[in-house]
Amino acid sequence: MDPAVRLPLLLGLAWLVPLASFVAILFFGPRMGKHGKNAAWVATAAIVTSLMLSLMAAGTWLAVHPVTAPAHGHHGDAHAAAGQDEHGGHAAGHHGHAADAPPAYSGDWYTLYQGGKLKLSIGWYIDSLTVLMFVVVAFIATCIHVYASGYMHDELHDVTDHEVHLSTGGHLHRPGRFPRFFQALSLFCFSMFGIVIAGNLAMVFVFWELVGICSWFLIGFYYERKSASNAANKAFIVNRVGDFGMLIGLMALWGALGTLQFTDMFAAVRPAPDHALVVPASMTNWLLFIAGVGIFCGCVGKSAQFPLFVWLPDAMEGPTPVSALVHSATMVAAGVYLVGRFFPVLSPDVLLVIAYTGAITLFIAATIALVANDIKRVLAYSTVSQLGYMMLALGVGGWVAGLFHLVTHAFFKSLLFLCSGSVIHACHTNDMRKMGGLARVMPWTAYTMLVGCLAIIGAGIPFVIGLSGYYSKDSILAQALSFAQANPRHSVLFYAVAGGAALTAFYMFRLWFMTFAGEPRDHHVHEHAHESPTVMVAPLVVLSVLAVAAGWTIGTFGIANLLEQARPAGTAEGLTGGFAFGQTLTYPAEHLSHAEAIHRAATWTAFGTALAGVALAAVMYLWRLVSPDVVATIFRPVYAFLAGRWYFDELYKAIFVVPALGIAQLASGADRGIIDRIIDGLAWTARGLAGIDAWIDRTLVDGLVNATANATWNAGIALKRLQTGRLRQYVVFIALATVALFVLASLFMRVSHAG
Amino acid sequence: MTGLTVLPLATLVGPVSVAHYLVVGAVLFVAGVACMAVKRNALGVLMGIELVLNGANVNFVAFASPYLQADGARSLGLDGQIIALFVILLAAAEAAVALAITLNFYNNHATVDVDRADDLKG
Amino acid sequence: MIPTLAAIDWHAVFFLLFAAVACGGAIAVVAADNVVRMALYLVLSLGATAGLFFLAGAEFVGAMQLMIYVGGTLVLLVFGVMLTAQAPFVSIKTTAGDRALATIVGLGLFGLLVTAGLSVEAWRQPGSHRLTEPAATPIGMALVGVRVDAPPANAPAAAVRSGYLLPFEIVSVHLLVVLVGAAYLARAKRRKTPRAIEVAASAEPPTAVAEHAAIGRSAGRAASVLTGGSV
Repeated sequence: MDPAVRLPLLLGLAWLVPLASFVAILFFGPRMGKHGKNAAWVATAAIVTSLMLSLMAAGTWLAVHPVTAPAHGHHGDAHAAAGQDEHGGHAAGHHGHAADAPPAYSGDWYTLYQGGKLKLSIGWYIDSLTVLMFVVVAFIATCIHVYASGYMHDELHDVTDHEVHLSTGGHLHRPGRFPRFFQALSLFCFSMFGIVIAGNLAMVFVFWELVGICSWFLIGFYYERKSASNAANKAFIVNRVGDFGMLIGLMALWGALGTLQFTDMFAAVRPAPDHALVVPASMTNWLLFIAGVGIFCGCVGKSAQFPLFVWLPDAMEGPTPVSALVHSATMVAAGVYLVGRFFPVLSPDVLLVIAYTGAITLFIAATIALVANDIKRVLAYSTVSQLGYMMLALGVGGWVAGLFHLVTHAFFKSLLFLCSGSVIHACHTNDMRKMGGLARVMPWTAYTMLVGCLAIIGAGIPFVIGLSGYYSKDSILAQALSFAQANPRHSVLFYAVAGGAALTAFYMFRLWFMTFAGEPRDHHVHEHAHESPTVMVAPLVVLSVLAVAAGWTIGTFGIANLLEQARPAGTAEGLTGGFAFGQTLTYPAEHLSHAEAIHRAATWTAFGTALAGVALAAVMYLWRLVSPDVVATIFRPVYAFLAGRWYFDELYKAIFVVPALGIAQLASGADRGIIDRIIDGLAWTARGLAGIDAWIDRTLVDGLVNATANATWNAGIALKRLQTGRLRQYVVFIALATVALFVLASLFMRVSHAG
Repeated sequence: MTGLTVLPLATLVGPVSVAHYLVVGAVLFVAGVACMAVKRNALGVLMGIELVLNGANVNFVAFASPYLQADGARSLGLDGQIIALFVILLAAAEAAVALAITLNFYNNHATVDVDRADDLKG
Repeated sequence: MIPTLAAIDWHAVFFLLFAAVACGGAIAVVAADNVVRMALYLVLSLGATAGLFFLAGAEFVGAMQLMIYVGGTLVLLVFGVMLTAQAPFVSIKTTAGDRALATIVGLGLFGLLVTAGLSVEAWRQPGSHRLTEPAATPIGMALVGVRVDAPPANAPAAAVRSGYLLPFEIVSVHLLVVLVGAAYLARAKRRKTPRAIEVAASAEPPTAVAEHAAIGRSAGRAASVLTGGSV
């Protein structure tokens, strides 16, 4: 079958199956077995079906477009350098030779509205990135569905929530919500697939919001807990801030280009044949900038970038499978995915904004993670930090590097979260200070988590082999270094990446050492700890295998090369331009970062920083040569600042929440004091008028009507007397009337004749 | 006013004319009406009806008679007589039915007083 | 000066005679209290009316008047009188007020009719005294639908004059229906009649009769009937 027909069919089905599962559980969930136990099977079956369909789609894709090594030999460094000078100061870099468009299939299933060029449709845009994302999302979701069916077993019977204190002094006792959890998971998978397959930005936006609402459902799953419902609201509201920017971007694009279809937008901004970035006639530099930054704003919210990252750590209030699926592997990846998908339209200035946002995010999050004691929060800040890496990679022109890291990160971060979930399941606490020595009681969890930690810090034997993070992180470092060399003023970006790598290594191994190594700190916790059931451990093993191997390139087949297939037309050439910051920016082509010098430097930097971080962690937490408490005391202000999470929450509270509440109070006061008064006054007036009206109605109108009725009645009574029933009287009346009639008639005629 | 007050009663002294018959008919008619108005006996009322019909008949016959009409004046001719005949026939029928009703009334109420026949009074 | 016999307008004389008897009879009917006498006066009045018809040249109508009215209808009435002529009902008196009112209204009506009758000039013209053909044959022919009489004077020549076959048939059926209906109405209903028969047969005092008759009525009304009718 033609892949242009087959791919949309397979991926469309994979997209819709979770929706069917959602609908089924929504309506029949509570009736699926005891306490809805079978809802887990329904949802898991649906996501496994999606995985199978995605894999079939991947097979179809690979059969038509076999993965080959990237071919960039036809132009070299000298050529790129020459191009930089030709077009300096111009928004678009232009290299003057034709580039091939990547293989992609695009079309519409259903058109909601079409008027002129404007078109709203449900459609698809499928390239290798789409297929890859489908497989990754479906695969991780499958693991997490399986894991959650074990993790959520508490919800199969009535639950006493010890974290909710009722006013009566007891704890909340409620029925289990097992089906509800899987229902939301299914809806989430549907929404995430929707973002990935979407053929236009409007559809992306719709599913973007659907993902947001799923996130709200899942974070607030224990909605009786004040913290959970607050966290859900926070996530939702903070995301709205980003979506506001996204809407501006959408409007700018629609207004200027008249279309939101990816293919049309790409064609407008990067016209054939060479696909170099040009500003369309209907746009200005600034409008293109605003559109790009606007779309990026949405990604900032969704992918938890500075300054909107505050929601993600709080989102850990949700059940751990949710944290793993939604807030590490997939949903937050949506922002990165969208930046990658939208990459061709982004101008150099926007990319710089993205890069700096990513750098700030990765640094802030990594520093906070250094001192966090909640195991899930460490991972949450780690996620934020890694997302910052991806954004930074995209922002310095590393399209493949950023998305490659997105995929590998999805594997090892979901692994890490599931491991932490396993630990929490065993210890019934999130606090790492109460753990320690758990490796002995739960070895599977401990060593799979070690694999995850090694993967995230990019461990490997330099130039030989490494875990998945080794490859993706190295490519990011290389691209950052390449960029820093091309733009010395922005070399801070490279240092951020390098420093971030060290911090990552430190906090990840701090986590592992505190949790699994050493002696138990809390014997009560330790005694009750146990290895998790098979249904929870199996996904850990599967994911750890992928966390190791996802980055490998076997022959020419590898995720990096697969992504290279989807590289947007024209972006292989590098980019030169910039106007917004008063300087010319040069984005070196990504393949240049594979150059021997850069690659070697980047690899050694990564290896060195990671090793340093691990070593420091081991010194402080494994061998305890330096007491962390002493360090904390020495650097007390810094420690407090970091432990206070840079006081972002307090800052936002002071800047936004308190004024908003104040304004709300003011508005409420105005509402009560002025508007309510006016309305009450109006109501009183109306009531008074109604009273008068009622009086008029009763007295005049009713009186009139009653008077008429009474008159009629009385007349009837009076006339009744005439009906005596006496024959003789009637005869007299008749005769009398006849006489009277004649007399009157004659009189009348006489008068009328006389007149 | 002269037509009402000063009647040409002198005509009645002259030769017999239609007007004479009309006066006789009027007397019969008025007597019949008065009979209906005064008599409490149902049979008396019936007799009043007969008188009224007869008064009308006298008029018909008078109008139909060329003998009473002046020369050249229009008369009803034979039609008047035939109508008078029909009136007589219908009077007979009416008398039969009315008498039957009266007898029924008498059977039911043991009286022939029409003042007692007020069951339908409002 | 005594007029000769031939000079006497006999027509006028008989007219006056019959007119006097008719009017007098009619007034006597009104004036009489006794129902039997009323019947007698009525016979007189109607008979005299028949005479008036003869004088007007309508001999067939006059004959019918005598036969049907005097010979049929009045006999019927007299039967009625006899059937209902129980002592209390032979003469039921009316109040003087009623009589006075009826008199006034009657006079008014009479005045009206006379005024109307005398107000037309043509009707006051003396009659032509032209003898007419016997009317029996033309009437008979007219009743079977053939007109043989001469059209009235001054009638439009082309006027189509129809017979009276259809009205005649209608009246025939009508009479038949009336005959059947009257027989039905007047037939003896044994279930309903015992009270009246009992009343009629018994020689009880009038009070008791009135009380029996006053089933379902107020005693006061029964008493007033009694006082009004017990002479």
